[in-house]
Parts: sequence; C-alpha cells; structure tokens
Amino acid sequence: MLALDIKNLNKKYEHFHLKDVSFQLEKGYIMGFIGANGAGKTTTIKSILNLIHKDSGEIHILGREMLEHELELKQEIGSAFGDINFYTRNKIKTLTNVIKKFYRNWNDDAYYNYLKRFNLNENKKIAELSTGMKVKYSLAIALSHGAKLLILDEPTSGLDPVARDNLLDIFQELVEDGEISILFSTHITTDLEKCADYITFIDNGQIINSSEKEEFIDTYRLVNGKAEQLDLIKDKLISFKKNSFGFTALIHARDFDPSWNLKSALPSLEEIMIYFARKEIVHV
Amino acid sequence: MYNLLLKELKLGVSPFFYIMPFLTGALMLIPSWLYFLVLLYFCFITIPNMHAGYKSQNDLIFTNMLPVTKKDIVKAKVSVIVILELMHIIIAMIYGIISVHLYPNLIYLFFKPSFGFWGLCFVMIAIFNIIFISMYYKTAYKYGAASIVSITAAILFAGGAEWLGIQNSFVSDLFKGNGTDQLGTHLFILITGIVIFAICTFIAYRIAIKRFEKVEI
Repeated sequence: MLALDIKNLNKKYEHFHLKDVSFQLEKGYIMGFIGANGAGKTTTIKSILNLIHKDSGEIHILGREMLEHELELKQEIGSAFGDINFYTRNKIKTLTNVIKKFYRNWNDDAYYNYLKRFNLNENKKIAELSTGMKVKYSLAIALSHGAKLLILDEPTSGLDPVARDNLLDIFQELVEDGEISILFSTHITTDLEKCADYITFIDNGQIINSSEKEEFIDTYRLVNGKAEQLDLIKDKLISFKKNSFGFTALIHARDFDPSWNLKSALPSLEEIMIYFARKEIVHV
Repeated sequence: MYNLLLKELKLGVSPFFYIMPFLTGALMLIPSWLYFLVLLYFCFITIPNMHAGYKSQNDLIFTNMLPVTKKDIVKAKVSVIVILELMHIIIAMIYGIISVHLYPNLIYLFFKPSFGFWGLCFVMIAIFNIIFISMYYKTAYKYGAASIVSITAAILFAGGAEWLGIQNSFVSDLFKGNGTDQLGTHLFILITGIVIFAICTFIAYRIAIKRFEKVEI
C-alpha cells in the first residue's frame, strides 16, 4: 500500500513553478526529500498538507484523496516544521493539553512513554528546548495521536551531529514495524545515506529522480578526465567542473560509455545535488 | 469547534486581556467623561495586541496543521473577539450603573451611561467588527491596516454621535437630559444596537470565511 501518492502536482507563483511533481512512498519506509534551498521542498510539503492550494494534481494519502478526506487524514498525519516554532513561552504541558483534545486516538500512556524516552520534561517551556528537543516533542505529539505518516520539513537542520544521529536512529526504529512511513525533507545529504530507503530529488520545482536509494545513486556516475577529453563528451554530461588535472563531471549512467577510457565512480548524494545545481547556473 | 475555542482562550489570548475589561471599565467612574472611549480602548489595545500575538507565535500554521476546518478556525477566532467585546461592554455597564449612582446631580457634557448609550456602543463595535474582521482575513496576519481603518470608522461614529448630542436638542435631551429617564425608548435603542451588532458580526464572519479559504499559509 502507498502511504503517499503524488501525481502531477502543479503550483505556479510569480517567480517559482512547481512542475508536474509526482512521487510515491510505500508504507513502512523512509523517504528523503532532497533539494537545494528554494528548490520547492517546503512548497511540496505545504501542498501535501493542504496549507497552500495546488493548481492541479492529485494527492492520495494512505489510499485516500487528501482534499476530500482532509480532516480524517490529518488525524493520521504527524507533521513538523524544523524552523518554525509555536507558542514558545508556553509549557509543554499546556500545549499538549490543548493539542490532544483534537485527536480521537490520543494515547496518554504512549505520550508519557515518548516524553520519557526523549528526555522531555513537560514543565519546560518550548523556548527552553534545544532544536533537537523541539523536533522530538513534535514526534512525541505525532506518535501519541497514532500518526501513520510523518511529514517533516527539515527536521535535522540546525541539529548537532550527535542529535542528528540520535534522531535518525529514532526514525529507523519507528518504521521497523511497517506501520509508520516517514517523508522528510533535508539538504543535509549524509542524513539520507544513513537512514533513507527512498530518495526523491527536487530541483527548481521539478522532480529529477525518485527511487530506491541505491538505484538512485546508481543512475549517475562521477567521471574524471583530462581537459582535452571534455569537448568530446560535453553534450552528454549533466554538468562539469574544471580543475588543474582536467575535469570532474556528473553523467547519467546510461549515457556513460566505458570505451571513453575515463575514471568513473558512484557519486555521493551531495555530489549529485551540487552538479545538478551547476547545470542550472551554466544554462542561465 | 469547542476544542478550537478552548485553544484560543487558553493559548491565543493572554490572561491580561481578560483583566483589561475591569481596568478600562473603571474609567466609567470618571465623572462626565467621554464614555465611548472606554470601549474604544478595546479596539486600540486588545485587538492589535492579540493579533500581533497570533502572528509572532505562528498561530496560523499551528492551527492549520490541526485536524480542523478553516471555517471552524474563523468561527473560533471571531467568537473570542465577541466574548471579549461582551465582557468589555457588560463590565463597563456595571461600572456605569455605579457611576450614575455616585454622581446623581451631574451635568453631562457627553452622553450619560444610559441603556440607549450602550445601544450606540453596540453599533460602534458592530462597525468595528464588520471592517476589522473582514479586512483581517484577507491575509489572516496583517492586522495593522485592518485596525487603522476599523478604529477610524468606530471613532467617526462615536464622534458623530457626540457631535449630534451637542448640535441637536432632541438628541441632547435624550442622551444627557431628562430623556435619559425614558426607559422604553432607551431599551429600544439598546435592543436595536444589539441586533445591528449581531447582524454586522455575522456578515463579517461570513466574509472572513470566504476570504480565509483562499489564504495560502
């Protein structure tokens, strides 16, 4: 079953256009949603949550159409925006007491278990929590109301490496039973190398690739060659960087010809992101 | 909807704004003052501050992530405004009764706190609501322009009414002189004021829902 199914999502702004965004997330898996700042990650997430009105396209969550079943689906979605804080001068206790009333399946025992596990003191104010603690609080809320799909916008940005690692471990534990699915956006690609099952890459409002992690990386090759070789293959490259030894470039694996006699390697996610960003700069 | 109202009363409104009616209401004890101002303080202080709070606490996105309809969000927020307005008016009325008994032989420069006067206050707040609420929900965060326009309109109404009280002997007698004893007329003005208040607030609420549905968060 699909936890999330997005088809041909379009949203046009004056200076930005989300073009035919489509991707699917299987139930019980973690999908990393990557892209540079301003690539359209938050716009996509806001469209999924119906915080902004899409121009066209279909969004199905847990098999149901989002617009038609918004209220019941919101009962089953947990969301967090890493960089937005709410009611920071209120205590955790006060905020939870207000929030929990909105959820039919709220489970107090589960909530206190998560508070304990995440080391959250309910008498602390939101402003007193570290960035990582705030994300954990959002998770505790989502999990206590029985959310089946977690949609997290940049939950790891601003976290130190230890807190990030800790959070990613939690993500992995959550999906273990196959009930919970996670979509999280990030520009920190090492997060995904650690815990994502699927990767969706958005660039300038368009989905470049969405697939299983190994397959995603295997779609591309990073090649090194001498300056004189560059002209021969320039057209096939996604983008390239010149250096004193020659050049380094990203290319689609299907376009790569072993007879070129170039050194090739699998790129990292970061390299894929960077070379796609360069492509735009060159074209502009 | 009930949960949303509870959320607004607990999180959205600072406890200070529940005490405000008792403070501004006490201004009714100033003899022969311009009593429209007592309720205008609600428009000057409570409304902009409350909405600034929503903005700084990211209430818009917080509330929209909850499993609630946009219609209910507006309904709860408008209800809170109405609850606070009624608190201000009723508490000011009580102070008004005390004031009238404290100074039985006072000559009023401005309107005396009679039932008719409170009817006019309801109309003033009705004008404020229809402008503020409908303008605010165009964006659901820009409270500045909506406050300026609605406050100006409310002041114009109050100023116009007081001006009539000086220019026109009938109005002057009704609201400051012997006419204040005509309980029937005054109750009629009060009830008319309440009806206008209810109609205007309801229209504002309907416009707000339509506009808020289009707001991108």
